[in-house]
Amino acid sequence: MAEQAYTVVSDSETTGEEKTSSTFPEIAIGIDIGTSQCSVAVWNGSQVELLRNTRNRKLMRSYVTFKDEVPAGGVSDELAHEYDMLSGAAIFNMKRLIGRVDTDPVVHASKSLPFLVQTLDIGVRPFIAALVNNMWRSTTPEEVLAIFLVELRAMAEVKLKRPVRNVVLTIPVSFSRFQLTRIERACAMAGLHVLRLMPEPTAVALLYAQQQQQSSHENMGSGSEKIALIFNMGAGYCDVAITATAGGVSQIKALAGSTVGGEDLLQNLMHHLLPNMDDLFSSHGIEEIKRMGLLRVATQDAIHKLSSDISVPINLDLGNGTKLSKVLDRAEFEEVNKGVFEKCEALIKRCLQDAKLEAEDVHDVIIVGGCSYIPMVRNIVTSICKRDELYSGMNPMEAAVRGAALEGAVASGISDPFGNLDLLTIQATPLSIGIQADGSNFVPIINQNTTTPVRKEQIFTTVHDNQTEALILVYEGDEKTVEENHLLGYFKITGIPPAPKGVPEINVCMDIDASNVLRVFAGVMLRGMPYMEVRMPTVDDGHGWSAQALHKTYGSNLDVVTVQKKTQH
Amino acid sequence: MWMRKLRILTPFSQKLLFTKRETITISSSYCKPEFDFHTVEQFFPQYIRRVNFRGNNLGFCGRSLFSCEAAQRNSCWNCCNAKAFLVCTDCGCVQPVDHSVDYFKIFGLEKKYGIEGENLERTYKDWQRKLHPDLVHTKSQKEREYAAEQSARVIDAYRTLTDPLSRAIYILKLEDVHVDEEEKIDDVELLTEMLEIRETVDEAADSQALKQIQEQCGVWTSGQIPIQGKFEQSSISFADALQSRKYIEALAAIRRMTYYKRANEEIVKKL
Repeated sequence: MAEQAYTVVSDSETTGEEKTSSTFPEIAIGIDIGTSQCSVAVWNGSQVELLRNTRNRKLMRSYVTFKDEVPAGGVSDELAHEYDMLSGAAIFNMKRLIGRVDTDPVVHASKSLPFLVQTLDIGVRPFIAALVNNMWRSTTPEEVLAIFLVELRAMAEVKLKRPVRNVVLTIPVSFSRFQLTRIERACAMAGLHVLRLMPEPTAVALLYAQQQQQSSHENMGSGSEKIALIFNMGAGYCDVAITATAGGVSQIKALAGSTVGGEDLLQNLMHHLLPNMDDLFSSHGIEEIKRMGLLRVATQDAIHKLSSDISVPINLDLGNGTKLSKVLDRAEFEEVNKGVFEKCEALIKRCLQDAKLEAEDVHDVIIVGGCSYIPMVRNIVTSICKRDELYSGMNPMEAAVRGAALEGAVASGISDPFGNLDLLTIQATPLSIGIQADGSNFVPIINQNTTTPVRKEQIFTTVHDNQTEALILVYEGDEKTVEENHLLGYFKITGIPPAPKGVPEINVCMDIDASNVLRVFAGVMLRGMPYMEVRMPTVDDGHGWSAQALHKTYGSNLDVVTVQKKTQH
Repeated sequence: MWMRKLRILTPFSQKLLFTKRETITISSSYCKPEFDFHTVEQFFPQYIRRVNFRGNNLGFCGRSLFSCEAAQRNSCWNCCNAKAFLVCTDCGCVQPVDHSVDYFKIFGLEKKYGIEGENLERTYKDWQRKLHPDLVHTKSQKEREYAAEQSARVIDAYRTLTDPLSRAIYILKLEDVHVDEEEKIDDVELLTEMLEIRETVDEAADSQALKQIQEQCGVWTSGQIPIQGKFEQSSISFADALQSRKYIEALAAIRRMTYYKRANEEIVKKL
């Protein structure tokens, strides 16, 4: 049998298993790309080790500066001063921008960043540019991320004295599958192969599982099941997960996430300090950007200080006659950000409810991420979980990357003689996946928090007499109507035999495998009719447009409705 | 027959020859018409395992020759020893899905409804530790596929058995009783009850009141008990009906459980 000469990797096929298997598998490194900070860790044969850059830092700022067309990222480059990052030449917060269209409120909120974010509000990718020699140089979040990843990779290769190709990356729970493909694209641009994309709190769960297993070994205990609630809030996102761990195996019971984080706290406070901020900075001139930067740094410092102090003085001269001078106290900061804190509260409550657990059932409450130092955030978590003590066995800034490094070692097939890698995380889907049916309703086929790998099917039927074609629109999300969810892709089923409406049976099956690849199978249940197998997502940029165009062209001509399910329990 | 198979396999065997000389020597020295697999195994147990492994890597393999599909159905496809279950007890090799193994067997349980006290979670995690696709990536393509299917089946088994309603439906299916979950109900008593529950839920002022309908006793007058209690009652009557093989009654109990479960979900949604 002839060896296959070559394999063509499909465009979207950047995940999946390694094709070449050598006797000594390369240990995948773990990378935590935060909205504001980033870190790399690897299993060094006996434990997880965080890699330090040439300046001996474990945490590096996530940004890329464009200078004279040669970009440099925050891995090697050290800024002379915080203000340099705000000169217009540095692009940051790419994790908030990646894979979002210009109608997204998160993109609109990013317009107050000290670089250029332009929108047309029609559902296409936003225009992003950095200021280089008084010129706006356009870029994309993928490019910025790739430049940054190249630096991280180079740093890791120097430290490990070997080529680095395989990585495990942590991602926010609320990322859509489309956003995941953008992350994969950025990695591919940087020459990295994504072994796993792990929701951040599940990486923390893995670290927790390892710690529990170690302590049960020490106590010679039986290692009974322990339930932990993990709350992770960084600069860009807030995630909650509930995990049940026994003997190194963690089952993710529920996941909840939202695009809310330190950046929102910062922007709310900036607007509070300077209510007409948006008007002042709208023109994006060099002076405006500088002022924007000044305000940003001052506000950021104030928030940091308020974690330990009750009040903080703010004195700021923006240079155009606008002067700020006031004493900000913690209560005021908390009042301004009431909405953000309420969202955090709602996320924890929802996660407990989805896991069908009461606060009393939780053994350990773990809080990680940059915002875990904010007193109000800690208060919320402790009061909902009804306890005085939080789990203290982890460094809040390093937990996610350590978990990712563990997963990297486990997924590379490394074993440890002391059993420190006898770990397994059984993941669950963070968002529901379904199709448009019954008008513009979203009908989930795989529900949120379903254990993966999973395969589910449901039967649909036609809405018109003699309807011979049906459009299958695949969406992801947890809202009732499709407009509020993410379109993942679409395809048409043809050749439905003419029959009165409601008679033909269209089977739609969804399958998520262990590498989190989603495939949709659909077809008419008739002998001899071929089924479609479609790998999702199929839409590229501007999927907001696609949905509108589809609706305009086809209306409800090719709709489907649900048939009461028979095949499911 | 043995000879012919060997001849068909020649190109393949030549490939093996390049990697391991002994392969061919042993095969040809063992040319007898009636091939007894177990004899070979007694003589060259390690050899057989190795050949199989190599065969898998090359795609078209000596499966028809060396695997025990021809020999015994219940033994491991890889080492041919032992009575293999989901995973071979001898060589730790993942087995193909065998649908005659029901969910109860997977969890080492007797086929009965009342399994509330059992620690399913532990068995579930023990299986996943052996089967989960994340942990078998160093194995052959074939075994990885088996593992993916088996792991998914164990997840399904766990989900089915932990939920009293789906467990009830499943156990009836094993008894060849068809459960139509979407049938129209003509049980007037149940219908009125459902309407009553719906009204109380709609009228409930706050989450406190909803919780009362859901689980707390006290304010309820004669014969009225909260939904969760009702669900448990139906669950008990299902167990009784099943034991005495009264399937019509068992189906009626399932119907009630379905409706109480839905009512409970409505309440949770409103909470």
